[in-house]
Amino acid sequence: MTSPPLLIAAGEVGGDFFRERDVGDLCQAQRDHVFCWDWARENIDRFGTPTVQHLQIVIPAILIGFVVAFALALLSHRTRWLQPPLLAATGVLYTIPSIAFFFLLLPLTGLGRDTAIIVLAAYTLQIIYRNTILGLNNVPASVKDAARGMGFTSRQILWKVELPLAIPEIVAGLRVAVVSTIAIATLAVLISAGGLGTEMYGSNLTFPTSIIMAGAIVMLMALAFDAILLLVQRLTTPWRRVSQA
Amino acid sequence: MPSGDSVTDASQPAASSVRYEGATKRYPGAAEPAVDELTLEVPAGEICVLVGPSGCGKTTAMRMVNRTVEITSGDVLVGDRSVRDREPAQLRREIGYVIQQIGLFPHRTIAENIGAVPQLLGWKKERIRARCMELLELIGLDPELGDRYPAQLSGGQQQRVGVARALAADPLVMLMDEPFGAIDPINRERLQNEFLRLQREIRKTVLFVTHDIDEAIKLGDRIAVMREGGRVEQYATPAELLMAPATEFVEDFVGADRALKRLALMRVGDINLWEAPLAHVGQATAEVRAKLAAPDVEIPYPLLVDSERRPLGWLSERDLAAEVVPGQADSPLGPVLERDDVMRDALADLLQGESQYAPVVDHQGRIAGVLSIEIISEFLASPEAKSDEHPAVERPHD
Amino acid sequence: MSAPLPLASFTGAVEFIFNPQESNVTGGKKVGGLDKSLELLVKHLELTVLALAIALVIALPLGLYLGHKGKGEQFAIGLGNAGRAIPELAVIALVAVLIGVGLKNVAPVLAILGVPPILNNAFVGVRQVDRSTVDAARGMGMSELAIIRKVELPIAVPTVMGGIRSGAIAILATATIAPLAGVETLGDFILNRNVYGENGLLAGAILVALLALTIEGLLALLQRRLTSDGLKLKTV
Repeated sequence: MTSPPLLIAAGEVGGDFFRERDVGDLCQAQRDHVFCWDWARENIDRFGTPTVQHLQIVIPAILIGFVVAFALALLSHRTRWLQPPLLAATGVLYTIPSIAFFFLLLPLTGLGRDTAIIVLAAYTLQIIYRNTILGLNNVPASVKDAARGMGFTSRQILWKVELPLAIPEIVAGLRVAVVSTIAIATLAVLISAGGLGTEMYGSNLTFPTSIIMAGAIVMLMALAFDAILLLVQRLTTPWRRVSQA
Repeated sequence: MPSGDSVTDASQPAASSVRYEGATKRYPGAAEPAVDELTLEVPAGEICVLVGPSGCGKTTAMRMVNRTVEITSGDVLVGDRSVRDREPAQLRREIGYVIQQIGLFPHRTIAENIGAVPQLLGWKKERIRARCMELLELIGLDPELGDRYPAQLSGGQQQRVGVARALAADPLVMLMDEPFGAIDPINRERLQNEFLRLQREIRKTVLFVTHDIDEAIKLGDRIAVMREGGRVEQYATPAELLMAPATEFVEDFVGADRALKRLALMRVGDINLWEAPLAHVGQATAEVRAKLAAPDVEIPYPLLVDSERRPLGWLSERDLAAEVVPGQADSPLGPVLERDDVMRDALADLLQGESQYAPVVDHQGRIAGVLSIEIISEFLASPEAKSDEHPAVERPHD
Repeated sequence: MSAPLPLASFTGAVEFIFNPQESNVTGGKKVGGLDKSLELLVKHLELTVLALAIALVIALPLGLYLGHKGKGEQFAIGLGNAGRAIPELAVIALVAVLIGVGLKNVAPVLAILGVPPILNNAFVGVRQVDRSTVDAARGMGMSELAIIRKVELPIAVPTVMGGIRSGAIAILATATIAPLAGVETLGDFILNRNVYGENGLLAGAILVALLALTIEGLLALLQRRLTSDGLKLKTV
């Protein structure tokens, strides 16, 4: 199987992270096979740094995205007319493919992790914002009426009644955001931000074992975070576990 | 039942009066005010029912008291203090608020729901807990339910919790907006009875809104019949309302069956009930037969009761053929009435049950007497019933 | 991290789109320009539309059917979740290495990225239709197929279209790195910096972003047309 000229050219992009990769004798012969177990066993450590780098991009991105989206949701919960424009604005940020977004920001923020974090955070805004608004809107009117009539201030109603009841929706949005972010962060390699994408790119482009391993780690990471968030949701909403009278 | 060692502050007055002084609510853009210059006084410790057709402004008027609806002009005073005096949130913590859809917090346990306002007021944990237990007992719920969530309770139980929640901080006034409206008729009757029993104990000032005139007559010490604009057509006791309706509107609203409605003014426990000879399980039938043979016996059938004097059934001749009284009676009980039942409902039950006699029990289920249609008609024919002085008028002083 | 003034870069990029520029690599031969831009844009669209069509054919009927029957909820939802976790770069790279390069190979694999959101949303959209509405329709004598077409689908349009939009954008985004697998798309400008230069890089990014927004906009319009007036009353 010959590599087309484009692949080689692509491998030269961002030459600063191009690495020599020692495939070893075992796998030279197995170059055409899909997965080389020996190489995988021997080289598992090399995935350590990329994984850490990946987390160093993903976690700040999620945190920033959540804080901003949450703040916007609280703001537009009081000031309703803000909702359509905010929804549209976050929607635009979501629609622009992250890869394009990475490069659009290059002139402004340059290569490296910061750009990746900004782009990924922007990407999560819409889903978190929309779900938070949805969760808040789904609180039954009678519950809010009772709270108000009993003497809760607006702020107390928000924090003690509305937000706890909105947790399931908010966490649902967060889960989607986290999983997507972990997957897209693999593209950060294209702007020299590191991450698991490095094991799928450059010289690794023609080595399936590396790609598959990195991909597996990405997906496992996503699964783990998803499960943790689901657990957190279950723990914080004990009332949803009970059955009807 | 709570006694002197109640958790609330005994030095404070238990209830305040409520006074509307030309209170008006005008919504922007509306041609007519929702409530137009309402002037009304509710004495402390009484239940005032605001009743009228949909949209007449009764709910709006009620909500002006705790400022969930802001007053446009005029004033509302709770215990001689204008409601505008304080911050709305502060005001509302001293006023109990019960709404039709109940609005319990789904994410809080029953105990936490009840303790919500005390917590806002900064009560100590122990005090809140004690108060919760007290109230659960007061509304007749198993204290174990305190740790459950609202979704685990039935509609009737939830509404009771709603009332308990409103009472938790020992408010001066209670506002109730069609609180029993969403409950099925059977449970509604029970809840109404229990509410009256409760009120006898705690004597709160209650502003009660309903569109159901029968409920108004049953529960109210005073009734304000309203029409559009919150205009009061008549503000009077139930007896006055029924016997002397002030305007045609009131007459129409009360309904054509006014005479029958008068039966609603009385309770089963108000009149002298008959006694049925009682028979216990395992008693010698000879004894029972002796009772039946007595000259002054009013009811010719023996009533089977258990050790707690709770009725189990009516005994027949066949039952008495044996040596001892059997554990099960031949004839079923039929409708069982409570002493607090309104006479009108009792008559309806008797007629529907097609039985001549109905056992009457107290609120613990023990036999208190027997009612029959004959008794009712005898009473209605008596001079006592015909007088204008009705026992109902004196109801607050039961 | 020294960057030229952003404004200058963007002007340069726009220039690139319209006028051919000098390039370092190809020495003398011009790159960029309107013809090239349009050519790549069309190719990008070609790949996207093809992959989307494949994804639709697979996922839409399956999702609607499963949702109608109420079966396979775990599968549909699980697929939706798992689909989101797939790293696009890995997909493209694996296609290139294992399967082959060129449109014929890449398009079906790209479709895989579009299947999860379309199937997930089709399932959920139909599932969320009020059971009593469906019961009424069944009671009126409608055939199962008619129920799907005339009752469930119209009500599910917003959710289903939402899934299609998600899938389209996911495919379009991944098409950007399709050059790694031998398919020329707008990603070419981005990935071959030495050929197209800084301006080309930015130009590629701008064009991809604009294309995405346009497609999203068109699909949103389509959704509005397809949504009956009664349903339009909801906002979020």
